[in-house]
Amino acid sequence: MASAEPAAPRGESSGAARLFAAPLSLLMRMIDWPMSALQRLIGERRMAYAFLLPNIVFFGLFVFLPLIINVVFSVTGGTALFPSQRPYVGGEQYAYLFDCGSFLDPNSCREDHFWRGVSNTARFTVFQVTAMVLFSLVTAVVLNMKIKARGFFRAVYFFPVLLSPVVVALTWKWILQRDGLLNAGITALGGERILFLVDPSWAMFWIVFVSVWAHMGFYTLILLAGLQAIPADLYEAAEMDATPRWRVFWRITLPLLWPNMIVVIVLALIKGVQTFDEVFVLTGGGPGTATLMVVHYIYETAFSNQVQNFGLAAAASVVLGLVLFALTLAQLAASNRKGAA
Amino acid sequence: MSELSLTGVRKSFGSTHVLHGIDLHVAHGEFVVFVGPSGCGKSTLLRVIAGLEEVTDGAVAIDGTDVTGLPASERGLAMVFQSYALYPHMSVYKNMAFALENMGLPRDEIDKRVRRAAGMLQLTDYLERKPRALSGGQRQRVAIGRAIVRDPKIFLFDEPLSNLDAELRVATRKELAGLHAELGGTMIYVTHDQVEAMTLADRIVVLQAGKIEQVGTPLELYNRPDNLFVAGFIGSPRMNLLPGTVARPGIVTVGDGGHEIACETATLASGAPVTLGVRPEHLSLSESQGLPLAIELVERLGGESYLYGASPGLPQIPAFLGTARSSRTSREAAQLRDPS
Repeated sequence: MASAEPAAPRGESSGAARLFAAPLSLLMRMIDWPMSALQRLIGERRMAYAFLLPNIVFFGLFVFLPLIINVVFSVTGGTALFPSQRPYVGGEQYAYLFDCGSFLDPNSCREDHFWRGVSNTARFTVFQVTAMVLFSLVTAVVLNMKIKARGFFRAVYFFPVLLSPVVVALTWKWILQRDGLLNAGITALGGERILFLVDPSWAMFWIVFVSVWAHMGFYTLILLAGLQAIPADLYEAAEMDATPRWRVFWRITLPLLWPNMIVVIVLALIKGVQTFDEVFVLTGGGPGTATLMVVHYIYETAFSNQVQNFGLAAAASVVLGLVLFALTLAQLAASNRKGAA
Repeated sequence: MSELSLTGVRKSFGSTHVLHGIDLHVAHGEFVVFVGPSGCGKSTLLRVIAGLEEVTDGAVAIDGTDVTGLPASERGLAMVFQSYALYPHMSVYKNMAFALENMGLPRDEIDKRVRRAAGMLQLTDYLERKPRALSGGQRQRVAIGRAIVRDPKIFLFDEPLSNLDAELRVATRKELAGLHAELGGTMIYVTHDQVEAMTLADRIVVLQAGKIEQVGTPLELYNRPDNLFVAGFIGSPRMNLLPGTVARPGIVTVGDGGHEIACETATLASGAPVTLGVRPEHLSLSESQGLPLAIELVERLGGESYLYGASPGLPQIPAFLGTARSSRTSREAAQLRDPS
């Protein structure tokens, strides 16, 4: 394997470039002989595997291995941490999870918290995805118009995506809590304090709101890219065809944006089902179990309850994983259809 | 069928002035072609007529009614775009019916109009196909069909044939000429291809740098160009523009050798600089007399041949050789004679 020296830079930057190039060149020389030796040993064609190996090792250690361990935990019982010390129980954990009088009534289930989590997650996902798609679409359409300071607004709407979910949740908690900014405003205007994070309906509303606020920028970006990909002359043709504006949106924009819409819907669904950190910080799953999500349930069952039931949490994880797998397949199918369109 | 009047039309994009006061009248049923080099403002002028661009100054009138402030949707015009601009998610039928649905026409009337246009354009078998399943020529015909069904006041064509291959371009050009004869509508057509302009137009508008250089019938422009630009732009190969000097009344000298050519000099004084315009087909080869020429290239196009030669102090000179010169143009030098 030949060592490659960076091309000599020109002009004013040559000094700085040489400064960076020198250690790089040294590094290349250092790895040159072992790589050359390896290539002689395994042949040029197999060198690709040598380059892939480091990432595969990390992927195996931190993704694939935990996945297998999780499945092993889900078919074992007891409270021991090491799989070798855990007795095999077969599908008992799954049977326990699915032991319900009616799946529509969490109270009829033996593990009612899991089903409350499923119910809350389903409700949250439906509201959140609907709101997310609607607001992202409206925002993308507005940001695609020739408005003043368009670049600024695009940045503003994308900015929350860059924030850590915990920072987002803490900021909104500071606004929404009993003595928070919003209640201070309401009382200053002579109104009554509202317990936004204590009232179950308000709590669900606000976790949907905060989630939409935090992630909308990402989906807006996808839709904006889709809108910009629609050729401008189609709109001019529609104008020549004397098409009313609502009909342009309904008959031209929306059908041509549909592939992007499907991606947004499926991605938002997956993200919605996975929701944990923002809700955990904002409401802690409360009041009671009003905002307890499936992932939160898994976390509590495995790590935070007095009796750490790894097996049950692992079984719930597998169920959640299968749901996410199905949604991912749907997303892939939607993406492929978009590529083929 | 409608008429169009442009009065002092100016268009600027910021500090860039694209159209500099265009005055033009297009009569009922006329086929007018805007022609000019890239960036001359011909497409902008068409878009101004369409209402897709607002004028900076001046007025646009259709049938005597000022439509300058009207949006494109209210002008009653139809436009065929260079890119076709077909709705990709709609079938050919839906593409053609879309504007009629906007007009609120009854379903059977829409169907009648779409099928009639499809019949005219040989698209009947493709009505259920999506645009991506059509060839370039078929797409172009759908775009034309979309314009026809609306029965517009004026048809606007923005370089509609530029995306087609040479053979299809000729075929579609003929179809367009036939269509104009059949429909009799007022048509305004933008192209940079002078063959399209010459073959389709009742009148040609030659534009350069946002100004009209000349308006006239194709043969008027060819035979009596108003200025050097039109003289050089219309005709292929282009007209020979030879710089010279009036030697005496009726005689102009050209080239370093001071070769004398007899031509009308009107009131020009002796010694006045002139440019002599000679079409390639007006030159012929001579054995002994005329302008001496070193032959640089002979193009044999099958049906016709052109000679490209050089003479000291003059630009390259193309000359039409007719069809029977192939054996005689192998010489390295020739004499060119202006038959006039």
